[in-house]
Amino acid sequence: MSENYYTNDGPVVSVLIPTYNRPQSLYKALVSVFRQDYENLQVIVVNDGGEDVRDIVDSFHDSRLEYICRNENRGKAYSLNEAIGRSEGKYLCYLDDDDIYYPFHVRMLVDALENETDCQVAYSDLYKVYCNQFPDGTQQVLSKVVEVSRDFDRFLMLVFNHVLHVSLMHHRDLIEKTGPYNERLNVLIDWDMTRRLMFFSDFYHVPEITGEYSHPAGDSDRISVQRRKDKNEYMENVLTIMTTRPPKPWPKFGDLSIIFISERLDKRAGKTIGEIRHRTFYPYKLFLPMPESDFNRLNIDMPNLVFVSAGSSSCAELQLDTALKKCDGEYIALVPADFSVRDLWIENPIYALINCSDQRQGFLLDKEGGHPWAAVFRRDDLRFARTHFSDLSISESLKAAGISIRWPRNEELPFQFDNLYNEALSIERDGDWLEAAQIYEYIAEKFQNRLWMKRLAARAFFKAGRHEESQNICNEINRWRPTVDTLFLEAKIRRENGDLDSAIELLTTAAKTLEGHELIWT
Amino acid sequence: MDMTKKNTEQDNDSTQHYDILQELGDCHTSVGDYIKAQQFYEKAAILCPDEAGPYVGLGVVAMQKNLLDDAETAFKVACRLDKNSARAYAGLGLVAQQRHHYKKAFDMFLKCLELDTDNLIGILGLFQTSCQMGSFEKVTYYLETYLNMHPGDVSVMYPLAALYMKDGKLEDSKKMLLDILSLDRNHRDAAYLLEELEHNMAQARQEAIQTL
Repeated sequence: MSENYYTNDGPVVSVLIPTYNRPQSLYKALVSVFRQDYENLQVIVVNDGGEDVRDIVDSFHDSRLEYICRNENRGKAYSLNEAIGRSEGKYLCYLDDDDIYYPFHVRMLVDALENETDCQVAYSDLYKVYCNQFPDGTQQVLSKVVEVSRDFDRFLMLVFNHVLHVSLMHHRDLIEKTGPYNERLNVLIDWDMTRRLMFFSDFYHVPEITGEYSHPAGDSDRISVQRRKDKNEYMENVLTIMTTRPPKPWPKFGDLSIIFISERLDKRAGKTIGEIRHRTFYPYKLFLPMPESDFNRLNIDMPNLVFVSAGSSSCAELQLDTALKKCDGEYIALVPADFSVRDLWIENPIYALINCSDQRQGFLLDKEGGHPWAAVFRRDDLRFARTHFSDLSISESLKAAGISIRWPRNEELPFQFDNLYNEALSIERDGDWLEAAQIYEYIAEKFQNRLWMKRLAARAFFKAGRHEESQNICNEINRWRPTVDTLFLEAKIRRENGDLDSAIELLTTAAKTLEGHELIWT
Repeated sequence: MDMTKKNTEQDNDSTQHYDILQELGDCHTSVGDYIKAQQFYEKAAILCPDEAGPYVGLGVVAMQKNLLDDAETAFKVACRLDKNSARAYAGLGLVAQQRHHYKKAFDMFLKCLELDTDNLIGILGLFQTSCQMGSFEKVTYYLETYLNMHPGDVSVMYPLAALYMKDGKLEDSKKMLLDILSLDRNHRDAAYLLEELEHNMAQARQEAIQTL
């Protein structure tokens, strides 16, 4: 790869566009790329074994455009890796063949990465275009909504991809750390990559709408939609992502070692291991101290599984001490065989531990504290306890080392924003729109995602009949970052108040946005 | 754990574009720009061909242009698409009323009010056609029902006061007229009617004294 990615006009950005049998929409996607007000681009189109689109590519007569045509269909991950292999930009960004950028998309993200943040990854918001798709390739827009507009949340990213891949831009060098796109996956390849990227960088959210992705109405024939229908295959993909660990060092994640302590590898132990595999989103390695004769009995595909040879009649303390010598995680969770693994079983206590400033503090893995040492600790604390008090039981050694164990207080748990948000949604469902609106306002002031929460507050106030409050919020949003929805809401209220001229002006802007009028983009 | 649903702003909204076009049509109708209103209703009809709303709008525009045949066609299409569209029946009532087909107009306004007792066009249309036919049966009920839901709507209070007066419910009529004037002291029709009512009541009292 060339390292001459700076020119006089700023860094080169490589735009990667995999395509498969969508010639009409590919043309529109490319038009949107060549209308960027940032010109220092390298555009790479990869035809993933579909209908040849050379005539479309050639029609642009643009030397910045490179075309890779392959006869064999090998999937999106392979195509992206092929394009990355050809890329020379300082930054990479992505465009699917049925999506578009607004003309300021690349510039805005480059500005953010060059001037506004130390993050090596930035992303923006996109309109989701819900549309009727016709056989001739044309589409009829039914709505444009900002479906996802979340500020970056590391713990949330572990369980949910809240960064749209098409809105993503990152340093190309990061791929050398994350590794390439995973070609074993046939769905969720974008979440797999964003999840791996966050081991090495925070993400910077630019809350501007800088493009559109289409979502056809009805039963979509999209590959990604079809593949989600096979629940088992989908789950296997999710499990692969959850157990994938990019090469270390990880500047943004402390590794977790889970030590599973069981007298024997029986049915119950196997079940618990399976549950750990299915319900652990935090990156981890699972250490199994057990007799070598048991190693082959566990038939499970887990790249993050580590067998530790322990004697056949080892007690829990010996198993722990044997495994502890091998553990390289900064955090260590001790899991007994009969432990009941629930959703967020490790994410809750490890979040509390990471953010806890108290020394020698461990956090229980379950609220009831059914098992005295089923908890997560800092590795150095646990090693201190077991090194200095190896003749004591696990519980006694922890006590002797001054390590206290408790369940996290409410304010120490992750997903505080999501809990409040879900409470507001539940109140909405009960029809108490006013209370929901007030919660959205509270969240907007106290937590992240201000713009998103303000939009929801405006809608809830409107439904509660508090049109003045709704109008005030819409007015603020529409002056700052309008959306079709908030323009429409404000127009309805202005019409009610007899201000027809303003209503028409707001509705006209909304309609032009829906119709893809260029004036709206600039 | 699937957090997908919880973390998205909203579900697919399949009517947003249609709603905006329809609202634009309505706004342009309100400001009297019928050419633009028609354009937006036509776009809305293309987007959602099964919705009655755009055809009601097109009917209203045609009415404003005095194209009664076009208006009737549009309102009929709206009725066919949505047999519960009170606005479409109100429109058909207006068309019939313009053609002096009072019986038909009365039936259409009545149908409209059966579907939506809140429809002001239907209420006022029913009252007007009743006046035109000289028959006030059924009207009082709809006016009272409407006022129960919209107390203080003087546009309905006034015809009801007139109806009370015609039915000999002079005290009810007087109270209604006084209520109107307390809400809108410049309501000249109410003031005149009150004057007439009080004159009639005084006359009635005089006649009663003379009879004694």
